[in-house]
Amino acid sequence: MAVPGIGDAVSRTEDQRFLTGRGNYVDDITLEGQVYALVLRSPEAHARIVSIDVSEALALSGVLLIVTGEDWQREGFGHIPTKSAVRTNRDGSPIAEPPRHCLAMDRVRFVGEPVALVVAETAEVAASALALIEVDYESLPAVVDPVAALADGAPQLWDDIPNNLCADFELGDAAATDAAFAEADHVIAIDIANNRVTAVPIEPRGAIARYDADSDSFELYNATQNVHANRDTFAEQVLGIDKRKLRQIAPDVGGGFGVKNGVYPEPALILYAARQLRRPVKWINTRSESFLADTHGREQISKVELALRADGTFLALRTTTTGNIGAFCWTVGPFTPTGGSARTQGGPYAIGAMHYQAKAVFTNTQPLDPYRGAGRPEASFQIERVIELAARELGFDPVELRRKNLIPRAALPLRTPMGLEVDCGDFPQVFERTLAMSDRGGFAERVAASRARGRLRGFAIAPYLECTGGAPNEYAGITFTADGLIELAVGSQSTGMGHETSMPQILAARLGVPLEDIRYVQGDTDATPIGGGHGGSRNLEVGGNAVAQAADEVIDKGKAIAAHLFGTPLDRVSFEDGRFLVPQTNHVLTMPEVAVASLDPGRLPEDLQPGCLNTGSTFARSAIVVPNGCHAAEVEVDPQTGIIEIVGYWVVDDFGTIVNPLLCDGQVMGGIAQGIGQALLEHAVYDADSGQLLTATLLDYALPRAGDIPDMAIEYYEGAPTEKNPLGVKGAGEAGCCGAPPAVVNAVLDAIKESGVTNIDMPLKPEKVWRAIEDARRAG
Amino acid sequence: MQDFSYQRPAALTAAIEAFEQAEDGRFLAGGQTLLPVMKHRLATPSDLIDLAGISDLEGISIAGSALSIGAMTTHARVASAAEVHDAIPALAKLAGCIGDPHVRNRGTLGGSIANNDPAADYPAAVAGLNATVYTDRRRIAGDDFFTGFFETALEEGELITRVEFPVAAAACYQKFDDPASGYAVVGVFVSRGSQGVRVAVTGATPCVFRMRDLEAALNRKFTPETVSGFCVPEEECNDDLHATAAYRSHLVGVMATRAVAAITDGEM
Repeated sequence: MAVPGIGDAVSRTEDQRFLTGRGNYVDDITLEGQVYALVLRSPEAHARIVSIDVSEALALSGVLLIVTGEDWQREGFGHIPTKSAVRTNRDGSPIAEPPRHCLAMDRVRFVGEPVALVVAETAEVAASALALIEVDYESLPAVVDPVAALADGAPQLWDDIPNNLCADFELGDAAATDAAFAEADHVIAIDIANNRVTAVPIEPRGAIARYDADSDSFELYNATQNVHANRDTFAEQVLGIDKRKLRQIAPDVGGGFGVKNGVYPEPALILYAARQLRRPVKWINTRSESFLADTHGREQISKVELALRADGTFLALRTTTTGNIGAFCWTVGPFTPTGGSARTQGGPYAIGAMHYQAKAVFTNTQPLDPYRGAGRPEASFQIERVIELAARELGFDPVELRRKNLIPRAALPLRTPMGLEVDCGDFPQVFERTLAMSDRGGFAERVAASRARGRLRGFAIAPYLECTGGAPNEYAGITFTADGLIELAVGSQSTGMGHETSMPQILAARLGVPLEDIRYVQGDTDATPIGGGHGGSRNLEVGGNAVAQAADEVIDKGKAIAAHLFGTPLDRVSFEDGRFLVPQTNHVLTMPEVAVASLDPGRLPEDLQPGCLNTGSTFARSAIVVPNGCHAAEVEVDPQTGIIEIVGYWVVDDFGTIVNPLLCDGQVMGGIAQGIGQALLEHAVYDADSGQLLTATLLDYALPRAGDIPDMAIEYYEGAPTEKNPLGVKGAGEAGCCGAPPAVVNAVLDAIKESGVTNIDMPLKPEKVWRAIEDARRAG
Repeated sequence: MQDFSYQRPAALTAAIEAFEQAEDGRFLAGGQTLLPVMKHRLATPSDLIDLAGISDLEGISIAGSALSIGAMTTHARVASAAEVHDAIPALAKLAGCIGDPHVRNRGTLGGSIANNDPAADYPAAVAGLNATVYTDRRRIAGDDFFTGFFETALEEGELITRVEFPVAAAACYQKFDDPASGYAVVGVFVSRGSQGVRVAVTGATPCVFRMRDLEAALNRKFTPETVSGFCVPEEECNDDLHATAAYRSHLVGVMATRAVAAITDGEM
């Protein structure tokens, strides 16, 4: 059994279970006596609830409980709070945070909003009961477009929130930016829309709640990304119970991407139902419900302006965004289009002045919350699109224009005009390496070959810079057992990323033990005192460093035990390659030997107790780190149909130290796949009049399939490990979503540049591409 | 899904009998449309009569100068059968691009054409190859089988048993598929046989149809260039979330041109 090292491509230990269908997801769990809950969801985008008649549904045999908003209000339960880091408008007033109850009270504001909960002996009976509940809705005008929602006279979602404006935000120096624009030789402006998408995790959301009357306590098995924070909200802010009496467990979770991070109403509803009925209650969303009831992502409409000197030097960037946040603030919804997109404005380019302004707007749509990247992909798309347009309009080579303006290595560390501390990296080197991989020398020949087949070939390069970290504290606990196992418990949690491999790999490398000796525990509020869940590509950066820190504490304690057993002073004991030893002597003890001794009172010094090697350690990150990299894409366009094929894809990422390149490749590929999905295929569309979600099935919402994703060449630049954390790591999970959309979209626009088309909004569906070319041809 | 009774007869006569006795019976021929509809409770039959147990309805054979395919033959089998590849490779290709592997392993020829989804692939082959549909009661010419939007010439309880496709000298199916559903946004089936050229279009309009004026022109001069000048008017095309009528109208021309070009290239 080999000891893995940091940097080894260790295969995922959890894959045996996942690939043979033996994963343990919420729906795989059956508790004795369990009953089934379904949610009645609003079919109306905006309506007053005149009355709800549940009598016929309640009379159905097998129906156990029906809960409406009125019942919920009578119980006096609290609403679900917003935790947006942006809390004030630019004038200092608080942002608008309307109350979000678990069930609609007197009004529904989006299709899919929970109106009632039905619990029955079987899911089939519950479904029949749903159909028997009679809700009398009085329809109100709906608005789904955030720009339209801001206009005077638009339908109002909240009586006390004028113009549906949730937050009015700015960051940067407006005066300096205006001054730079005034002095610029060129100003290039582009209007772009970042399309609304939904994550579609392969496992729909679901939960099982159990109540134990003897101890007056609850267990909640929930497909969530964030057991601790959500437990606290359910207990303290919604149900009003002692959080120590609510244990939340996330078993295997089949994908999250941010949408399982927030606080949803359904688990709170079934916790209540379980207590009322004294029986375990299971609720599992259908795929159709997932489209309606999982938070959506993106949807920003922006004007991006770039000021340049005549020689192409960037002087200033001004971005004005309208972000749709749906009908409620949800968990951190207002943050994404405001602070979330502000911090990484300008990407890895030297731009002297920047100003970012954004309005977060309520509409009659499913609320939006973080989705893989949560604002940074939008920022990356904004800068790369305006640069591409500047190159085109001003006659610069797009590669040269980018090269000229990248922040040089010597300029680091620096603080951007947006306040982001960029500590390390080598953006020019990463850029040149990506270019070299993409075989620019052979491009002209490939263009000619494509043209001979009636296809147009294009290329684009897209450097990106983002920032990662998420919740700032994470816990790692290490427990040595009598049977020689080491139990590692971490408060963050995998939704498929491979923590069961990567976290033990760090511990194994640090302690010099094989992976097989480590048992990994995650996703359980009882297993760790705190936990920051998963979000902001934080696990390796915060959780991984917690593991390393805890391991170092174990080593320090182990030295005291070894010194006692060796009969030597503590300062003479060192730890190398998994062994405690005294140099130049034959005193050697392995970590497992010391671990066995740590459980034996006869072998410990007087001041140490059995179990003394066990450690629980909380790591607090200092600042968010700044992953960066460069994507490049080559595409072929069929001008007769508009069909796009990505024929080449190259990436160099700077994630600092790479702990496991195999798992890292998976993160990069997954992020790029979702980025390509957004660029070419995915679009959550609401009908402008009715407010109905038109893309509510997989027949209508186009997810990328394996065949839509090209082979990609992935390399890492490891020359700049960050000093912001001991492992020197930078988050890898969301970077693909930052680089892929601009690389793909700009490559397509490059391919069709002879048509004169300079912008097509994502997704670049074939019809849009064909139509843009046709329209340009007719106009030209 | 609401409760229903399920039967899996082994003989055609038993299936018909079961249907006649059922209060609101439906035949199950793969279920790739019916089962999702039932899950949404949009169809609530009292009885499902699964035809998968009737071996007579399954299989592929050469009958003279025609290829005979049993109604319950799956798309996957048609796509991979040597007889189909040898006789009408375009038909094998068509079957292989229906939906995804799950659909192809369950969905059947009979189920597809009985449903007559306007975006389904098989109707283009039936019309484009001048196939004959055999039922438990009669034979129906391919041209008479598809009568409208989700409508066919089938009578209540009438069961397709097999479809006979005349072997054409050359044929090609060009499909522009929707990236989400895999259905044909536009699919054009062109065949060239002893009885002339056929051009059948699916996806573009509410029901599969033949472009007879284009067929006549291609009978005179079978070149890709001939296709230009013949189009399906925008007003007749479907217009939905996935494609506008104008785009569909345009795609018919592109797909037809490519189908003719592929046949021409193959013959040269």
